Amino acid sequence: MSADCSISIESGSPHSWKGNAARFITQRLLNYLIALGAIFSLNFILPRLMPSDPLHAIYGDVALVAMTDEMQAHLIRQLSLDKSWWDQMLAYLLGLLQGDLGFSYYYRDQVSLVILGALPWTLLLVGLALIIATAIGIILGIESGYNRGSSLDRGLVASLMFLSGFPDFFIGVLLLLIFAVSLDVLPLSGATSPYAGYEGLSYILDVLAHLALPLASMVLVQLGSIFLLTRNTVVTLLGEAFVLTARAKGCPEGVIKYAHVGRNSLLPVTTATGMVIPHMITRVLFIEIVFSYPGIGSLLNTAISARDYPLIQGILLVVTLTVLTVNFLVDLLYMKLDPRVRYAY
Amino acid sequence: MLCIKDLKVSFGKSHILRGVDLCLERGECLAMVGESGAGKTTLGLSIMGLAKGSATGEISFQGKNLLAISLEELRLLRGKEMAMVFQNVEDALDPVQRIVDQIAEGIMVHRSISTKNARDMALKHLHFVGLNSEKARMYPHQLSGGEKQRVLIALAMVNDPDLLILDEPTASLDALTKAEIIKLFRSAILGRICIIITHDISLAAALADKIAVLYAGRIVENGSAQDLIRTPRHPYTRGLIRSYPTITATKDLQGIPGRMDHSLSGCPFHERCTQSIDICSRTVPQPLEKDGRIIACHRGGIVPLLEIEHLSLTINSYSALSDVSLSLYDGETLALVGESGSGKTTLSKVIMGIYEADDGAVVLEGSKVTKWDEAFYRRVQMIFQNPKESVSHRMNVLQAVLEPMQVQKIGSPEEMHKRAKEVLELVELPIDDDFLQRYPHELSGGEMQRVAIARALVLGPKLLIADEPTSALDPSVQAKILKLLMNLQEKMGLAIIFITHDIALARKVSDQMAVMHKGRIVEVGATNEILIHPQHHYTGRLVNCAYGRYEKEDGEIDRMEESLAMKRFC
Repeated sequence: MSADCSISIESGSPHSWKGNAARFITQRLLNYLIALGAIFSLNFILPRLMPSDPLHAIYGDVALVAMTDEMQAHLIRQLSLDKSWWDQMLAYLLGLLQGDLGFSYYYRDQVSLVILGALPWTLLLVGLALIIATAIGIILGIESGYNRGSSLDRGLVASLMFLSGFPDFFIGVLLLLIFAVSLDVLPLSGATSPYAGYEGLSYILDVLAHLALPLASMVLVQLGSIFLLTRNTVVTLLGEAFVLTARAKGCPEGVIKYAHVGRNSLLPVTTATGMVIPHMITRVLFIEIVFSYPGIGSLLNTAISARDYPLIQGILLVVTLTVLTVNFLVDLLYMKLDPRVRYAY
Repeated sequence: MLCIKDLKVSFGKSHILRGVDLCLERGECLAMVGESGAGKTTLGLSIMGLAKGSATGEISFQGKNLLAISLEELRLLRGKEMAMVFQNVEDALDPVQRIVDQIAEGIMVHRSISTKNARDMALKHLHFVGLNSEKARMYPHQLSGGEKQRVLIALAMVNDPDLLILDEPTASLDALTKAEIIKLFRSAILGRICIIITHDISLAAALADKIAVLYAGRIVENGSAQDLIRTPRHPYTRGLIRSYPTITATKDLQGIPGRMDHSLSGCPFHERCTQSIDICSRTVPQPLEKDGRIIACHRGGIVPLLEIEHLSLTINSYSALSDVSLSLYDGETLALVGESGSGKTTLSKVIMGIYEADDGAVVLEGSKVTKWDEAFYRRVQMIFQNPKESVSHRMNVLQAVLEPMQVQKIGSPEEMHKRAKEVLELVELPIDDDFLQRYPHELSGGEMQRVAIARALVLGPKLLIADEPTSALDPSVQAKILKLLMNLQEKMGLAIIFITHDIALARKVSDQMAVMHKGRIVEVGATNEILIHPQHHYTGRLVNCAYGRYEKEDGEIDRMEESLAMKRFC
């Protein structure tokens, strides 16, 4: 190897993507901050635009009836309702910064604390469902698309289309009846066995056992769309010239399938996955109710029945924040995956 | 050594290759030319084992029959012993991988080598094709078309393959980039077997030793590159070369009539061929070798239509023609040039049987003409300088065109009428009754010459002798008449002897040129070659006159006289 050829390819260059990436991220971040600002403003403005006084709008009839005059006076002071809109907004933002989302009269606790108790379970459920459904969907999609027209392909397309046609709570109920009621191999409801006092590994196993059915129903329904998208992308990509180049290089099938076709099919799949996250969050509400899973969904259900407005608002705010965060992460991932986006800015 | 025997490839019911035979030694470079859809790319892909259809026959390479070995064996040969550079440069590289990694992958697939070493090797190969380390780290979308082409060449060369297949390697490149890439190819193809798939004849001429012409899945002509381009023997090859623009081609571009049809029985080209005979539509011509050229044509290639052998004629002890020999091929134009009185018209009159030669022979389609009868005039017709004088002023348009048929007694009056209208349409004249009833004095010069051409063509001749057909017309009408003649030649395969003293005009319409001087032919050959390098002093003088360079008294040519307007025109 001659000296001039041993130049390290890691050496930086004026066209290094780091500068571009920083600009890309800043721009994205700015967009998300604008979205966030809009949401905060809506959350602030809406109750104040409603007829009757803001306190009434924020807390609702039931809570106000239960409140003493003293508490009302305290709240008006806290929310600066007796001052100008400008001061009210300042108070609202300051409260948000301190994690103050208000007080839940139903749970008799800070809204933020109530939500924090439920949030991990939902994140666990949605996060795992997303990861598992995407991973399985992509792998099955690649295999299916690569062997288009085979019996494997036809079988997968038919069964996954069939499954994704059902709403997930229906699948949930079905799984519940089969595995928890008839076969009695998995727990019926909840996230842990109450008062069992498990620790360590057995605690994890217990959590997983409770997670299995809700997770399975979410994955089964989610799988179809990711699978179909990957499969169709793979079928299209197989006609691309670079696949022919890879074959002409002498690449084995596995490399063509995953390193070239698979890698390229990730791009549209990532975009689509980012877009299904809000849908998954609505769907998890139903699943949690079906399985009495103590997450945000069940919490929202309770809050709505009890007309606990601060709690409802808090949940909506947290959900929106989560969706925005996840979308931002997807954007970053996409940039990592597609150099064309990376250099486009 | 690569040997292909009777290779047939079909996709379902459509047969793309219908029996290709080809043998190439190491160090030989073959250009595979032909129109789109002829099966060129399929041939390349079949050798690589990448064609989707089913293949039969034999492709032997390095002692193995590539159609018989296992997929895994074939994969191990691909990229290592044989490599292909694909047509579509824009999409041929994986968009999400750095090019250095894509090339390193090509190395790692075939050798056990560490990633780092493979990358170093890839860098070296990229340097060799002129891409630095910075470019190597880039992604395909950041490179220009020429740079991508370089990457693909590096990728093909990375394992030092024995066989290199280049599919339209310069199609999307600009002229300067193309020149650089050709330079790169020149070194890349050394010592390998190389197949260049292209429709770019200039590329084939620049790189290949041999050219094979593929038409509808069959090789119709195969021979040494220089020879084949200079003297194409198959009518299809000539059509391809005529339709390719080059800086030295002087004749206007002519296409090939019709479209390629893969499902024809007999010779695949017979429907578009102007010299096809009965057998052409019935049986497939077998490739036959003659003088180092393989041609698949029932007629043995382009047939000589007219051969003039040692004609001599003395009129009143003045030697009007002495030892004139010429040959004219089907579908070609021969320009007969020279000053007035050089014997051009006399020669045409001998061919037409108006004068009888003292010595020598006129041979038409292989048989010597002994009597100038009706059958002869059905095949040879003539048009003259002054159309108003060459058509009787007592005949209207219709009568003028009908006359030859009446003389020859061909068909019923209705058929003659129909044919007359057909021919008038062919020469782009109206066929309404008003026009048909007009007399010569009611027509313009251009219209009258068209009527004369129609009259000449009405019998369906193979040879048309045009004696100064446009010198009585103004330039714009002349241009239209010349275009008409060229189109007729393209459609009907008409051979034309074009008699003119105007070299500039001859240059635009003729394939061959014969220069006459004092009853002798002093020079004959391809028009562009004669004009670029005139061999005979007399030809040189004619060419100089055509360029507007006139000799001074001492015989030197005064180049200072060339005005800008002159340069613009020459």
